[in-house]
Amino acid sequence: MRTLRRALRLPSARAALAVLALVALLALAGRALAPHDPLAQHPGQMLRGPSPGNPLGTDYLGRDVLSRLVAGTGLSVAGALEAVGAALLLGVLPALASVWLGKAVEWSVQRVADTLMVMPFTVFAIAVVAALGNGMHQAMLALGVLFAPLYFRVTRAAALGLRQAQYVEAAELMGASRWWILRVHIWGKILPTVAVTTAQAIGQALLVVSSLTFLGLGVQPPQPTWGGMLASDLGYLAQQPWAPLFPGLAIMLTVGALNLLADAIRDSGHAGAGSGGGGAGVGGSPAPATAAAPAAATSAASESAPDTAPVSAGTPASGAPRTEEADSHVTTR
Amino acid sequence: MSATTAARPLARVLATTATVLLLASVLTFALGALSGANPAAAVLGDLATPADIARMEAQFGLDKPLPEQFLHWLGGAVTGDLGTSWFTGVPVSDSIAEALPVDLSIAGLALLLAVGIGGGAGIAAALHSGGRLDRAVTLVCSVLSTLPPFLIGIVLIIIFAVQFGALPTGGYQPLESGPGQWLRYAILPAFALSLDAAASLARQLRTSLVGALRENYVTGAEIRGFSARRVLFGHVLRNAAGPALTVLGMSVPLVLGGAVVTEKIFNLPGMAQLSLQAAEQHDVPVVQGTLLVTVAVVVAANLAVNAALTALNPAAVRPSGRAGGAPRLGRRARLGHLVRPGVPVRPGGRPVAERATAARTGTPGERSTS
Repeated sequence: MRTLRRALRLPSARAALAVLALVALLALAGRALAPHDPLAQHPGQMLRGPSPGNPLGTDYLGRDVLSRLVAGTGLSVAGALEAVGAALLLGVLPALASVWLGKAVEWSVQRVADTLMVMPFTVFAIAVVAALGNGMHQAMLALGVLFAPLYFRVTRAAALGLRQAQYVEAAELMGASRWWILRVHIWGKILPTVAVTTAQAIGQALLVVSSLTFLGLGVQPPQPTWGGMLASDLGYLAQQPWAPLFPGLAIMLTVGALNLLADAIRDSGHAGAGSGGGGAGVGGSPAPATAAAPAAATSAASESAPDTAPVSAGTPASGAPRTEEADSHVTTR
Repeated sequence: MSATTAARPLARVLATTATVLLLASVLTFALGALSGANPAAAVLGDLATPADIARMEAQFGLDKPLPEQFLHWLGGAVTGDLGTSWFTGVPVSDSIAEALPVDLSIAGLALLLAVGIGGGAGIAAALHSGGRLDRAVTLVCSVLSTLPPFLIGIVLIIIFAVQFGALPTGGYQPLESGPGQWLRYAILPAFALSLDAAASLARQLRTSLVGALRENYVTGAEIRGFSARRVLFGHVLRNAAGPALTVLGMSVPLVLGGAVVTEKIFNLPGMAQLSLQAAEQHDVPVVQGTLLVTVAVVVAANLAVNAALTALNPAAVRPSGRAGGAPRLGRRARLGHLVRPGVPVRPGGRPVAERATAARTGTPGERSTS
């Protein structure tokens, strides 16, 4: 918790939170805030440029772009949150189980994580939607399942280090229950790691959700979403080459803010742990390198978790395994 | 390196690969079974009579128990037979054989471009660490990571196809119709697809290079009068490329997944169109086939990355189960001819070198997990 509080004092984190607060407001009250009905079609004013009545212009059915952007926030963000929430549950709990419940559980959970890591997002989502029906929840469940290994690896790496901490061993010797140890000693320590991963994962999920809605998965057409707006803009590039700018900018700003927040939390974790220690970026990559990115998130996970799947098929052998030093940083924090 | 020590990780890799492929096929098959779709309902819709349903289920072997169906399907898949489409009756493997080269050529070209662009940018940034170029690369990478990958494709279409009319807005020409034609159609989608992977590659390469450049052996090599180029390409890059290669391996599924969206933007007749169309029609065998083949491609790519990592860094093949310190010492000892005892260590360089060396030479999985 201390790390999170420290992170919130950074100016970059505050700026990120301000952007995210705005996005949250639009997500919750988008329908009410939209100046026009996002679904109302005006055949007379198709593909108009910005004007006082329609600040961002109109789309190919004459619908107000600003209203669609504002009203589409909810579905886009809710989708990402749903996927990440599922991933959190499906990743963190098996990770803790794999550390504490013995070899057999450890092996099988790791192989499942490996398998999920070789599944490409979009192809898997198409297959899931084909099997379970084309709905937002089905598509987001598919995403959540594929995001779970990210949480799994990061949490597992953090928990492995903690498990060997002397105070945890001491507590075990004193007869403390597993649950008590998890609650008292482990949870607070892995929380910053989980927070960094969550901020990054929401950003990444937002990108994938926009890809999926772009493909028409999960959302039925009249409903506005950021990705869906981009998809429909694509058909009218000759008339309105600037149209993809607005939904694109909305996605960029939100994802950028989330990445900034993740960096801020991680940096304050570093500051607290001395050098090279804490957070998801364990494994000795200095701060500038851990700038947030979809792949950086996964790479950080791989760097910090060599002991999950040594030279597996799913994940190429990690180039930067955790060392004893890194462990001691985590444990002495 | 004796044959026995090298064989052990290889056997392990193969065992894990087999497990992953088996689990992936179970998952793929389960998705089809879960859907509860049956060919008669999918093809005939409401017109299907119970007799039709029974006949078509028997035709596609769906009247047998699930485990038997799975084994039959898996046995076929191993020999390249993925069943036939419920709608067209065309063998799934034929449709995939037509669509897969499109994705492979786009994704392959994208990976090549990513290595070129990302590698160049990463090396340049590391050599000018802290300078303007370095900051510019970092900034561009951060911005790229917030962009939906398909947006780049749209922007490229606007610039090169709509504004300049220099390149086609979409479509595909196979390699057989001439490399020039192929490149004309493939370059925009591949470039759009490559930027994301290039950004993460550049970032990772910069970090490991900056770490490696501070190591003692670099100072040693410089003192011995080796040219900067020889030190960079002969020593540092080889040592620093491991994590970057890992990142590249992890971006293979992302690139292949992104290829799906890119296909849609550039209207390429690839796996995505195949599987999206099949998904709409509930054509289960086609959906299963595309997913399984994509997974197989990713696994194959990861195996290749593993092999490259092994070739790059012999220390990574050392038998597992050693304490963390042992390989590090071995590495130090082997580097000893480069590092003379009296060479001064740069201030602040030691812990970095320590960490970077440990990170580089540590055998994956060397720490026992118990």
